[in-house]
Amino acid sequence: MNDTPDAPRLYHFAAAFGAGGLLSLMVLFNGTLAAYGSLFFASWVPHLTGSVAALALLIWLRPRRAATVRPPLWTYLGGVSGALTVMLTSATMNTALALSGTIALGLAGQVLFSLFADIRGLFGLPQKMPGPRDYLSLALITSGSLIIIFFGGAS
Amino acid sequence: MIGFAALAMLAGVLVGLSRQINGRLALSTSAMESSFWNHLIGLIFITLAAMAFGGLFAGEPAASPWWAYLGGPVGVIFIAAGSWLIARIGAAQTAMLIIAGQMISGVVLDIILGAPGNPLARSIGVALILAGMWVTRPTRNRD
Repeated sequence: MNDTPDAPRLYHFAAAFGAGGLLSLMVLFNGTLAAYGSLFFASWVPHLTGSVAALALLIWLRPRRAATVRPPLWTYLGGVSGALTVMLTSATMNTALALSGTIALGLAGQVLFSLFADIRGLFGLPQKMPGPRDYLSLALITSGSLIIIFFGGAS
Repeated sequence: MIGFAALAMLAGVLVGLSRQINGRLALSTSAMESSFWNHLIGLIFITLAAMAFGGLFAGEPAASPWWAYLGGPVGVIFIAAGSWLIARIGAAQTAMLIIAGQMISGVVLDIILGAPGNPLARSIGVALILAGMWVTRPTRNRD
């Protein structure tokens, strides 16, 4: 039995799938901003309103700190990586790669990095060896995504 | 062209890198606090970059519809969810399920918004993604 509290549960599964839905909304909202304003603006606004919203949620919910020891300073730098992503995709979207190529290659980069990160337990997160089921699932989801990206649009 | 392809792939790597770092921060603090720092540090970084390159308020940003400004609060929940999940189900499964959710909801949004598309390709794509999710679903007696 693999029934420890740490075992992946259906609600983890549902939460991750739902987060993907939120991402679609973000792409729609931020993409609409980019249609009217600059690409910087389309990334600056959600970061600004997001900072305010997150601060309000922190004050309201007061989540318990998991550890009393301060984490290393580099753990605060995840936002730099995220902001760089926006600039890179904005740059490549307007080349011959277009939006579909940018999304497909970004997807590949994300999948390869996350596998490597799990296998090595990068940045102090738990190490996790992917099994045959994980690779099969990855192949199915990736191929389905590529079909939607390259053939799902207007024909 | 190969250079741009490498950049597009690097963008995906940075998405994973960001989630990994935020996930580590959440282990010491909380998922919501990691989302807050992700947004604040990102805001400072973009502000500096926009000051260096200029053009932050170019175009007609005031003309965009009000709902386009809702991306920020949605992003707060998205980043917090990623930080919470990555330590629990791993980076690969978090990434795959988020991609699955994004693709399927993207197809649904396209249909609602009336974007033209190929129904056959959309159906095959969604079916493959659902099959992939079925294969990796959590069950009590696995492993």
